[in-house]
Amino acid sequence: MNPAIPASSAAVAAMNRRHFLRGIGACIALPSLASLVPGRVLAAQASTGLATTSTGAPLRTAFVYFPNGAIPATWWPEGSAAQFQFGPTLAPLAGLRDRVQVLGGLDHVNANPGDDGGGDHARGNGVFLTGVRLNKSATDVRAGVSIDQVIARQVGHLTRFPSLQLSCENVRRAGACDSGYACAYQFNLSWRNATTPMPPESNPRLLFERLFGAGPQGMRAENARRRMEARRSVLDFVMEDTRRLQGRLDRHDREKIDQYLTGIRDVETRIQQAGRFGPPVDPALETPAGVPASHGEHVRMMYDLLALAFQTDSTRVATFALAHDGDNRSFSEIGIPEGHHDLSHHQGNAERIAKIARIDRWYAEQFARFLQQLEDSRDVDGNSILHNTRIVYGSGNADANRHTHDNLPVVLAGGGGGLLNPGRYVRHGSKPMSNLFLSLADQAGVTDLDRFGDSTGRLSNV
Amino acid sequence: MVVSAVLSSSNPVFWAWRGCVVLTGLLALRAPAQPVDPALDTFTREIQPILNTHCYDCHGSGISKGGVVLDEFTSASELKDPKLWLRALRNVRSGIMPPSDEPRLPAERVKALEHWIKRQIFELDPAVPDPGRVTVRRLNRTEYRNTVRDLMGVDYDTTLEFPGDDSGHGFDHMGDVLTVSPLLLEKYLDAAQTIVQRAVPMQPAVVAEVVLPGGKFSIRPGSGTESSPPLAASAEGALPNEATGPSRPPPAVVAAGMELSYYTRATVEQRHEITRAGRYQLHFDLRAVERYVDDQFDTNECRLELKVDGETLLDRVFSREGGRTFEFTFDRDWTPGERRIEVAMTPYGADRPQVRQLRLRLNQVTVRGPFAPEHWVKPASYTRFFPRAVPAGSAERRAYATELLGAFALRAYRRPVDPATIERLVTLAEATYREPDTTFEAGVAQAMVAVLASPRFVFREESVEPLQPGQVHPFVDEYALASRLSYFFWSTMPDEPLFRLAREGRLRASLPAEVRRMFDDPRSAEFIRHFTGQWLQARDIPTVVIDEFAIHQREHPPSEEAVALRAQVRRLAAIPEARRTPEQKLELEAAIKRRGAMPRPAITRLTTSLRQAMLEETERLFEHIVREDRPLTELIDANYTFLNEELAKHYDVPGVKGRAMRKVLLPPESPRGGVLTQGSVLAVTSNPTRTSPVKRGVFVLEAILGTPPAPPPPNIPPLEAAVTPEQLRQMTLRENLAAHASNPICASCHSRMDPLGLALENFNAIGQWRTSDMGHAIDPAGTLVTGESFADIRELKRILATQHQHDFYHNVSEKLLTYALGRGMDHRDTDTLDALTARLVSSGGRPSELIRGIIESAPFQQRRRSEAPVPAPAVSTVFVSPVTLSAPTP
Repeated sequence: MNPAIPASSAAVAAMNRRHFLRGIGACIALPSLASLVPGRVLAAQASTGLATTSTGAPLRTAFVYFPNGAIPATWWPEGSAAQFQFGPTLAPLAGLRDRVQVLGGLDHVNANPGDDGGGDHARGNGVFLTGVRLNKSATDVRAGVSIDQVIARQVGHLTRFPSLQLSCENVRRAGACDSGYACAYQFNLSWRNATTPMPPESNPRLLFERLFGAGPQGMRAENARRRMEARRSVLDFVMEDTRRLQGRLDRHDREKIDQYLTGIRDVETRIQQAGRFGPPVDPALETPAGVPASHGEHVRMMYDLLALAFQTDSTRVATFALAHDGDNRSFSEIGIPEGHHDLSHHQGNAERIAKIARIDRWYAEQFARFLQQLEDSRDVDGNSILHNTRIVYGSGNADANRHTHDNLPVVLAGGGGGLLNPGRYVRHGSKPMSNLFLSLADQAGVTDLDRFGDSTGRLSNV
Repeated sequence: MVVSAVLSSSNPVFWAWRGCVVLTGLLALRAPAQPVDPALDTFTREIQPILNTHCYDCHGSGISKGGVVLDEFTSASELKDPKLWLRALRNVRSGIMPPSDEPRLPAERVKALEHWIKRQIFELDPAVPDPGRVTVRRLNRTEYRNTVRDLMGVDYDTTLEFPGDDSGHGFDHMGDVLTVSPLLLEKYLDAAQTIVQRAVPMQPAVVAEVVLPGGKFSIRPGSGTESSPPLAASAEGALPNEATGPSRPPPAVVAAGMELSYYTRATVEQRHEITRAGRYQLHFDLRAVERYVDDQFDTNECRLELKVDGETLLDRVFSREGGRTFEFTFDRDWTPGERRIEVAMTPYGADRPQVRQLRLRLNQVTVRGPFAPEHWVKPASYTRFFPRAVPAGSAERRAYATELLGAFALRAYRRPVDPATIERLVTLAEATYREPDTTFEAGVAQAMVAVLASPRFVFREESVEPLQPGQVHPFVDEYALASRLSYFFWSTMPDEPLFRLAREGRLRASLPAEVRRMFDDPRSAEFIRHFTGQWLQARDIPTVVIDEFAIHQREHPPSEEAVALRAQVRRLAAIPEARRTPEQKLELEAAIKRRGAMPRPAITRLTTSLRQAMLEETERLFEHIVREDRPLTELIDANYTFLNEELAKHYDVPGVKGRAMRKVLLPPESPRGGVLTQGSVLAVTSNPTRTSPVKRGVFVLEAILGTPPAPPPPNIPPLEAAVTPEQLRQMTLRENLAAHASNPICASCHSRMDPLGLALENFNAIGQWRTSDMGHAIDPAGTLVTGESFADIRELKRILATQHQHDFYHNVSEKLLTYALGRGMDHRDTDTLDALTARLVSSGGRPSELIRGIIESAPFQQRRRSEAPVPAPAVSTVFVSPVTLSAPTP
């Protein structure tokens, strides 16, 4: 059957019913954030300036990645900084115009080929949040710490989860990845350090249970407590076993076991801090069943969960890979059967360009829906959650037809608790994307960062 | 190194002279007894003349085709660049270099070059093969799942619970790329808990439980076979289904369950004998299932009744429920006798379009009871974990716990465990079972959780035997060898016979018999599945995205009339109905009618069952060749393949009936046979709407010949710079590729990929035979970069299987050794791979020779000496001189 059949209004309603959160409705069932985070905790955070706004609300940061760049002609707005008109791709953001700024002229020079030859998708993906040159190898994986992890390192102790990694990718293809680069570069945005990528969670059920506990509503807090207790009960033994094993290995292998040790310490820290946060929120929602069959539903559900994580102050730092760069998924739900990556090498064909622009716009529609959700929920200080959030929405490829990495398509959404000046289209000329990251880290209260990736300074005028 | 002269001329006389200068320079600086580097010496004397004749036209005298320069070495250490010479070795051996329009390199010169590269550049000693370095490997998702199944007897779905494993060198169990993120660590801790909870009984006695699988229920005669719709279907608002009318699928056994369609009235039942009077519990476990259809919904409903002995326990209406599970529990007091359990399904409400094949699957019914403690029984898996009754005394309990946990830890860590570790485990168990309201079993279980959460379970630790006289690199110890074998062939932990041989120190001596036994074991299916699944990408066929409609249209372009009609309908339908003139309405009606009367194309769907058959075809061919010890070249060219009716129809092979896959002898003229013409390979190397000759060409180069093209160079000028979009639209794929290849930068690789990919153009993106694409006749003929010409895929397969046999054998050796070791190959493996290739050549490509060769090889048997364990961390953090740090690794 040809999928391009317009859905009847009844079908649309049915589809909406199936959505796991019904936008704003979901928030009503939640306790207000003020009751979750004791005032003195927030006050104490405000005094340190760590991931906290001047009004004492949590300052949150998210990085959302869309694959394969965007058609420049339809992506970029027209007009001046304040008097700009969105192009067709970003038109879905029109209702949130005062909440977003479109950033032009940001580059990732380390995603350019240099001496490394092909592999622009691996690089676009792996460089996006790290800003460093990736070691071109199938097995010797070396990137750099990503900006979300730099921020999480400093502010992660303030919340139940130092950071979250989300994606909509649950099937990996067999075989080698892009042009001799290890697959790790293409499937991870977050890097704890140069050699430890942070694989994202793609299953909505597992993410929900991780955040709030397993089981039906009413039993989740207890289940979460038990799970924490169960973890605690074996930590000593595991820690000792890890040390003994390390003692028997050579230096190279010891690095691998170091990752294990780091993970154990993380769990230990979180257990120690659990008392401070009290039991997790128990949302009046059914636990998601698993990975939805349709990509659109999957994307929306993961956005819903990210919104929920921010609303409940479960974390203040997150990354979300909508798909890896080079993704060749087809978009039958908007009548595009061809593969995204295949299409993106459009060879100037107008029909293909129109189709990619439609995909770009589809991603922007989903993003707008997410922003609207954040805009419609109140934070402890009476502002919207979106006001107290910074979200970088972008891709590591600019024009996928030519694999360029300068003038990347980037939107910076949210008010950053008043620190950002949204409602503008700012052309930055040609500056490293890393400069933006450095500025975002500053705002979150990261103090010891002089440089990041290929930064040349702070990005002014954000 | 102090040699600094730039060797840049191609004049041999000049060269010889330069060599002298270098030599003199060295001699002048070093003590007189210091010999000149032999690699450099041979280079100037023997190698340079060869390169001068055959290579420097493109790779010397200032010319650097492909970025390769073979005459600008400023020092011996720069000359000894293993990456450069490994590439040179490969290209010369496979005949890619020198190019086919240049004179061939005579055999004795190839030999001289090979010898120099292996002995003097790589400095390999055939008498002391380098075993290489394997990074400590953590279990990947498959290995973890299988190991847990063998160790604990439960299936823990790691594909669902754990994040995906990164792969390297095409496989997902490479030690170097398998990392442990904080998230994964957290998941390991939780998995350990869940697995033990599911597997290990915490009580010595429990309420008896009988599981009645849904699939064992019997279908009440006459049920689900009615030809006329039930009464409810004629209710008001009923919509007849287009063309076919409503379907009434009968109840069907799926896996262990019984599926009842929403659209069919049916009753299934099961009788169960109760022998003891008492309180019982009935637990029904159901799940709603449906076929996913994009953007269309199914509003049918059904009524489900659960009954026992005619008494209704539940009567409930279901609409579309997604994938939800339903569990219903009922308590009843029963006297001895036979109970009849019934599940009845009735379509409810109006018949609506049956879009999603809505079903309820009865997974199982569990009968628990009687509940009185005197009737309790030993849990099913009790003796697996607790072979004896738990003693009463505290010292005896401790001794029992020590015995249990010692044996368990050895199996879980797959090697002997030190007494201190066991002591800590027993202490942990004791701390738990000494608490009030808990059992000895629960304490032991808690210690088992700790074992499964340990890196010694998650990682494969290896140790070595003492060095034997004259040995440079030590053997891995017997336990490590057992794990190397079991994870290679079974993707799981060693079994009892392997452990026993390792314990007795007899495994290495019993290898031939053990390998035979392991290969005959059904667990070796894991090796077949994961090796072919990744090497030949068969694993991707179940999820590959294909638009069958677009594929169909390429071979059956719609007639002009159809295109015109479609445009007409679209134009008229775009006018809002209220604004359509009566003439337009009539015109639209007529157009729709005419469209409806046109013959409908029969589009082949890549159904789940067809995808499965394709996957099995690939696996079965490889399995057949390996188990029957057939020549490996039959993977490229064979006169048989494995088919069932559905796949045979797809391939136009007559005379195959039924769902079972079987070996089928192909007609002599058939283009099938060998993996290149299998649906799995053809589909996974295609784009969703069309074939991709480039991807297919790369597949042949990479997976079959082992000579992957360099990745596309950066900054390729876009094709539209050379031709107009209009020209581009008119081109066939072949012409499009030819336009690519007109650029010399692109040509060097496209001339290798394109002929291979274009030869497969007779197969569409779902693997069906075709003769045209978008109205252009397909021309599969071509000439390989190595010079051989072919008319079609049959001839190409023959060329690959004969003239490129050596490349193929070398490549299979490389892929299989990579898989067996869990590490990538480098130049130090050259001798090992050459030896394996030679065994294949001399045996006519027998897989048994290759496998035996791998098992006997140094990389499989030994560890590099420098990998010997180093002192504990505290010691190694003492000052390390910068000289040591910056020194090149040997």
